[in-house]
Amino acid sequence: MHSTLRLGGALVALVLLLMACAGPGATTAPSATASAAPSAAASEEPTAAPSEPGASPTPTPPPAAEAGTLTLWVDETRAPVLTAIAEQFTADTNVPVAVYQVGFGDIRDRLQLYGPSGEGPDIVIGAHDWLGQLATNGLVEPLDLSAVSDKVDPVALGAFTYDTGEGGQVYGLPYAAEAVALYYNTEMVPTPPATWEELIELATDLQADAGLGLEQAYVLQEKDPYHSYPLLTANGGYIFGKNDDGTYKPDDVGLDSEGGLAYGRMLDQMVKDGLLRAGVNYDTMIQLFTTKKSAMFVTGPWALPQIRESGVPFAVAPIPAGAETARPFVGVQGFMVSAFAPNKELAVSFLTDYVATDTTMQSLFDADPRPSTWVPVAEAIDEADVQAFIQSASNGDPLPAIPEMSAVWTDWTDALDLIFTQAQEPDPALQDAADSIRALIAGS
Amino acid sequence: MTTRTQGAPGTGAPLSVSAILFRIVGLAVIDAVALVFGIGLWYGGLGLAAVVLAAMTVVINVAFLSDRLMPVRWISPGLLLLTIMVVYPLLYTVYIALTNYGQGHILSKDQVIARFEDETYSGKSYSWVAYRSDGGEFLIWLSDPEGGEFLGDVQARTIAPVERADPRFGAIDPADNLPVAIDGFQKVPRLQTFQYLTRLAAERLQGEIDGAPAEIRIENLNTASLGQQKYTYDPARDVLVDNETGTEYVSREGFFTAPDGRTLTPGFAAFIGPANFVRVLTDPGIQGPFVGVFIWTFSFAALTVLLAFAVGLGLALVLNDKQLPAKGLFRTLMIVPYTIPGFIGILTWVGLLNPLYGPVNGILESALGIEPRWFQDGTLAKVALLLINTWLGFPYMLLVSLGALQSIPSEIYEAANIDGASPFQRFRTITFPLLLVALAPLLIGAFAFNFNNFTVIDLATEGGPPVPGSQTPAGQTDILISYAYRLAFAGGRGQDYALAAAISIVIFLIVAAITLVNFRLSRRVEQMV
Repeated sequence: MHSTLRLGGALVALVLLLMACAGPGATTAPSATASAAPSAAASEEPTAAPSEPGASPTPTPPPAAEAGTLTLWVDETRAPVLTAIAEQFTADTNVPVAVYQVGFGDIRDRLQLYGPSGEGPDIVIGAHDWLGQLATNGLVEPLDLSAVSDKVDPVALGAFTYDTGEGGQVYGLPYAAEAVALYYNTEMVPTPPATWEELIELATDLQADAGLGLEQAYVLQEKDPYHSYPLLTANGGYIFGKNDDGTYKPDDVGLDSEGGLAYGRMLDQMVKDGLLRAGVNYDTMIQLFTTKKSAMFVTGPWALPQIRESGVPFAVAPIPAGAETARPFVGVQGFMVSAFAPNKELAVSFLTDYVATDTTMQSLFDADPRPSTWVPVAEAIDEADVQAFIQSASNGDPLPAIPEMSAVWTDWTDALDLIFTQAQEPDPALQDAADSIRALIAGS
Repeated sequence: MTTRTQGAPGTGAPLSVSAILFRIVGLAVIDAVALVFGIGLWYGGLGLAAVVLAAMTVVINVAFLSDRLMPVRWISPGLLLLTIMVVYPLLYTVYIALTNYGQGHILSKDQVIARFEDETYSGKSYSWVAYRSDGGEFLIWLSDPEGGEFLGDVQARTIAPVERADPRFGAIDPADNLPVAIDGFQKVPRLQTFQYLTRLAAERLQGEIDGAPAEIRIENLNTASLGQQKYTYDPARDVLVDNETGTEYVSREGFFTAPDGRTLTPGFAAFIGPANFVRVLTDPGIQGPFVGVFIWTFSFAALTVLLAFAVGLGLALVLNDKQLPAKGLFRTLMIVPYTIPGFIGILTWVGLLNPLYGPVNGILESALGIEPRWFQDGTLAKVALLLINTWLGFPYMLLVSLGALQSIPSEIYEAANIDGASPFQRFRTITFPLLLVALAPLLIGAFAFNFNNFTVIDLATEGGPPVPGSQTPAGQTDILISYAYRLAFAGGRGQDYALAAAISIVIFLIVAAITLVNFRLSRRVEQMV
């Protein structure tokens, strides 16, 4: 009796096994059924739903693009904007679009992980400096933007141009560019300083005035290369030298160039004079300004809502110049098409023929007022502070997208740390950093 | 029923029908799950993992259906999980360490070949318009800039020059000078064309253009192009041929390389042998700070365990005192740090210890007039790290010590009392040695865990403060694993997974060796008692 039961059990197990087979068996060949009648199936799909669209058999975290449904991965701030645009697109063209929310910091690595496995999206939102990773690894598709290139800000278009060795190609449609500028309290600073000399003088005077109760007249976030880069360029320094066509040369590191060392000495002197202090992070920097304990600081347009909300009277000005014009890093945001997009042609056409239009760019700006790189939209902006950021970005250098840039951050941060804490003299700190960066780049 | 009594020594009670059914249904569920995963793995290109999984499933089935393999039965799920979660990743890590998987070499060779074979060159461009029948069939009207016009039939995959006098063409739309309809096919408005793009782009239209055979494909909403395949892969010789220039690219170390040394982007992941291990062992940039980092890693793990154990044991002794009131409340409160997620606790401490605005320095300054530069000075940063990690670690030590204390028989203490032992003597000669027997393996485990405690280092100091005059990315508080992370992911060209894998294997060997020595020592301690 026992053995009969055992045999029966084995049969049950077998049946269950067969049932289990049916599931994944069907998912291994979805393209055949889906592509046979994409239009009919597509129009039945729910549109632009941030949730699961229709029957998706894979429970993998970021959902895949299905043939026929255009899939977008966007971050949480832009998901509502793009959902609205996607709904309009579906209404206009009958193409279902699924907009999925993926954390901005995760999009790049998930595209790398899910794209090649065929489970990735058609389009992602991203920053231009991801191209070093995405284009070098063959994960994004070049776009032909020649038809609209006169409407795109040239700095932004240049930022999204990447050379993998066979000439530069555009890999994304830019829509917003962000760069830091000088926020100042208009009560304490009637006219913004035009040069760093003026700024230092002004900061010394303000800090000496006990009646103002300032903790620090001018605040620079500590250990932060990004915010201090305009000071580096104002002193004539650079990170990577440039070729004639504007691309960066990874073997020319300029952190310890004459201008770079001048930048280090300037920071060192400001620390010695009590104008800069270690231990101030981004949040402290914002807090000091909104509580009127500082009068000036440098950051990007992302802080605008917070500063406006605080009620502190403020304005935004370009970053003061030094020996040269201060050029901040420019970060450009845009749309990229996955090289493994199931609907590549559709994705490309969606960007070049639907998003790259005055109407869509305007609605993108209206819903998410980042400084637009679409020239007609940018020219029509009347907020003075947003215009100041657009101005600042047009002076700037695109954040280097070359992979070698990842070798720079740690050592540069360390050098700033050593200067801020007075643990080392500025010259050797920057020279060591530059040598270390060179060694890292040469060793890889 | 006879088989059971013969074959399963040690099982006393007779097996009921429901018990057997339960076992079989359970097995069926396990098999079904294994099958789903196995097929997924197989088609996901992880054939080896699928085979390992299948083998383990067979072992489980045999173990549960054969009474003779009874002892294997209860250990087999554990073995399965061990294989999937530990052995397989370990083997995979070794494999990755022997490749160049990383920035520029992410895709597999097949994927890279497919990408290159998809590229086209020359390509005269055409603008195009689609015509669609009610049955979902398509015609494509192509116009080139010189005024040439062709009509493509998507069903037949053919293309032919347009004869304007063709009777199938109906009225001509003056806006674009194209027919409104062609023989039952209606012109598709531009916006409506989007929905058919994926479908149409998949087709290739063939025919003769300008007297030469041609293939046209749709590139996007605006253009269709006359394209020829740019690259062809020859598997027999393992070369990628550029059809336009005739250049042959040889597959070499993860790149298709031309005779003149130029390489094509992207590269692919390729087996490169022990190069990464050689680099770990010989590169001065890696070797330089290694000894210092190793010493700090060792002291960090050892001191953390020592301090956390001392605090935990001390509190356990207090809480174990019979005279202590509200013991339950105190015990609960002491466990609280254990229940707060580590990263919240760590970040809170970082805020508390902020040199300028932190309350710790506020108190120290008003009470003692000192303002330690936590996190800015190497030694103080190490002290701060140990403080944070002790805070995170002591509740665990408290818990295990409390349990172990309760298991020490009270008769021994009574005997000690009669012999007139002082409380310290009782602790030194009874409590501590007996505790150590029970807790030594846990302490070793805690040591091994803290040896690789990346979270604390990365959240609290990120390895900083930097070493003045250093030319490698190691900071003063970097432990081996955070140093490995900095080398592999903050290095010269972005993520280098293969190097990271090689370093982790080296670290694994070090930890394994230390643990082995620890176990030897603790066994000796146990024997001494």
